[in-house]
Amino acid sequence: MTDTPPGHHLSDTLIKIRGLHFSHGQHVIFDGIDMDIPRKGVTAIMGPSGTGKTTLLKLIGGQLKPGSGTVEVDGENVHRLGTAELYALRKRMGMMFQSGALLTDLNVFDNVAYPLREHTRLTEAMIRQLVLLKLNAVGLRGAAQLMPSQLSGGMARRVAMARAISLDPMMIMYDEPFTGQDPISMGVLVQLIRNLNNALDICSIVVSHDVRETLSIVDYAYIISAGRVIEHGSPDDLRASVSEWTRQFIDGLADGPVPFHYRARPLLEDLFDNGGRR
Amino acid sequence: MMNAVLERFRTIGHRTLSSIRRLGRGHLFLLNVISVLAGMMTRPGLLIKQMYSVGVLTLIIIVVAGLFVGMVMALQSYYALVDFGAEDSVSVMVVLSLLRELGPVVTGLLFAGRAGSALTAEIGLMKATEQLSGMEMMAVNPMQRVIAPRFLASFLSMPLLALIFSAVGVIGAYMVAVMLLGLDDGAFWSQAQAHVDVHLDIVNGIIKSAVFGFVAAWIAVFEGYDCIPTSEGLGQATTRTVVYSSLAILGLDFVLTALMFGD
Repeated sequence: MTDTPPGHHLSDTLIKIRGLHFSHGQHVIFDGIDMDIPRKGVTAIMGPSGTGKTTLLKLIGGQLKPGSGTVEVDGENVHRLGTAELYALRKRMGMMFQSGALLTDLNVFDNVAYPLREHTRLTEAMIRQLVLLKLNAVGLRGAAQLMPSQLSGGMARRVAMARAISLDPMMIMYDEPFTGQDPISMGVLVQLIRNLNNALDICSIVVSHDVRETLSIVDYAYIISAGRVIEHGSPDDLRASVSEWTRQFIDGLADGPVPFHYRARPLLEDLFDNGGRR
Repeated sequence: MMNAVLERFRTIGHRTLSSIRRLGRGHLFLLNVISVLAGMMTRPGLLIKQMYSVGVLTLIIIVVAGLFVGMVMALQSYYALVDFGAEDSVSVMVVLSLLRELGPVVTGLLFAGRAGSALTAEIGLMKATEQLSGMEMMAVNPMQRVIAPRFLASFLSMPLLALIFSAVGVIGAYMVAVMLLGLDDGAFWSQAQAHVDVHLDIVNGIIKSAVFGFVAAWIAVFEGYDCIPTSEGLGQATTRTVVYSSLAILGLDFVLTALMFGD
C-alpha cells in the first residue's frame, strides 16, 4: 500500500519514494518504504534514534544510493541522474544539518553568500543585499561578521537556515533541528521553520524525534521504525492513534514494541556464565 | 583449537581484503582528484591560499632544520676529511649530500609531519562536522573546492621547500667550514661548483622532491577524506599520514636513487 497523505493529488507530490530498501552491511535500515511528500507545507519524518531518519534525507539528496527502490524529486529519479544533473537538482534543495555544517574558515556573511558566489554571477553589491535579507529573516543580520566558532548551537543552525534558503530552493530538509537546544532557542527554531515555510511557500521536511515541538508546526507526519513506515497522518491523527508503536513513541514510553533492553541472552544465563573460567 | 586457527586465518583474510579495498579506494580517489584539477584553474585564489598554508607556514621548520643539518654535515665532513688532508672537499660532500639526498628526504619527512598531518586533520574535521556533506548538498564538489587545491599546493610546494632546505643547508655549512673552522672561502665555493652537475644533482633532486610531494600530498588528503569521522578515527588517520608518508618517502628514495644514480 502506498503511504500517501489523504486528499492529496499526485501532481502535488514533490518527493515520491517507492519500495526503498537500504542496508548498512548486514543491518537493514529501510525495508521497503513508500512515502509521498507534498510540494507545499511542512512534513515531519519522526522515529526513535537510529531508525535512519538522517539516512533518509541523504537518500533524498542523492548522497547515498539505495539497495533497491526509487526516490523521485520533482519527477526526477535522484539515483539515475548524472553528476551534473544531480548538482542541478541540489541547487533547488536546501539542507540544514544537525551541526549546522558551516564552513569554519568563513564568517557568517560569507557562509550565507557561499552558494550565491558559487552558482550565480551576481555582483558583490547584489550578493550583500541578498545575504543581509536572508540573515534578517533568521534574526542574525547583526551577527554577519562573526565566525562560526563564536556562535551558539542555535545561532549556527539559524545561519545554516539562512544559507539553505539563499538560492530560493523548492524544498528545505531540516536534520534534527531541535536536538540539544535550550527552550528559547528551540522556540525560535520551531517558529522559524513554520514562518519560513509560510513565507516561501515551499516544501519543508523536518526530521526529528522531538514529538511535541515537531507536531506543533507540521501539516503531515510519518513515523518510521524498524525499517518501515509504521504510521502517517496529520498531527491530530497521530495524537489520537491507538497503534502500540505510535503510542510508545508519542508518549515516550520506555518499553513497548521498541524494547528497553538491547538484544541479549537471558539475564540468569549471563550472570551464571563464567566464560569457561572456574 | 581448530576454531582458533580458522579464526586466525579469517582475521588475516579479512585484514588483507580490507587493505586491498582501501588501496583501491585510494587510487580511485587520486583519479578523482586529478580529474578535477583542471576545473580548479578558474579559482586561483584557492590554490594561493593553500600554498600559503601548506608552503609558507612550513618554511620556518624547513629553514631551521636545513641550517642545522648543513652545519652538522660540515662539522662531520671536516672531522672525517681533515685526517686525509682533504678538508677543502667539505663543500663537495655537503652540497652533494644535500642536493641528492638530504634536501628531498628530510624536507619530505618534515613536510609529512608538519603539513601532511595538518591537512589530514583539517579535512577529517571537515568531514566529521559535515562540512563536506554540506558542500555536496549545496551542489559544490568538495573534491574541487577542498581536496584538489590542497593536493596541488602540497605537490608544488615540496620541490620549492627542498630547494630552500638545500640552499640554507649550504649556507650553514659555509658558516661552519669557513667562518668557524677557517677553511678557504674560494676553495669552498670553487670545489662545490666544480663537482655539482646541474642535471645529475639539482634536477634529479627536484624530481625526487616532486615525487615525494605527490605521494605525501596524496596520502595526507586521502587519509583525511577516508577517515572515520570520530575523534579516535581522526587521531588514527593523522598518525597513518605521518607513518605512511615517511615510509613511502624512504622507500621511494631508494628506488629513485638506484634509477638516477646507478650505472
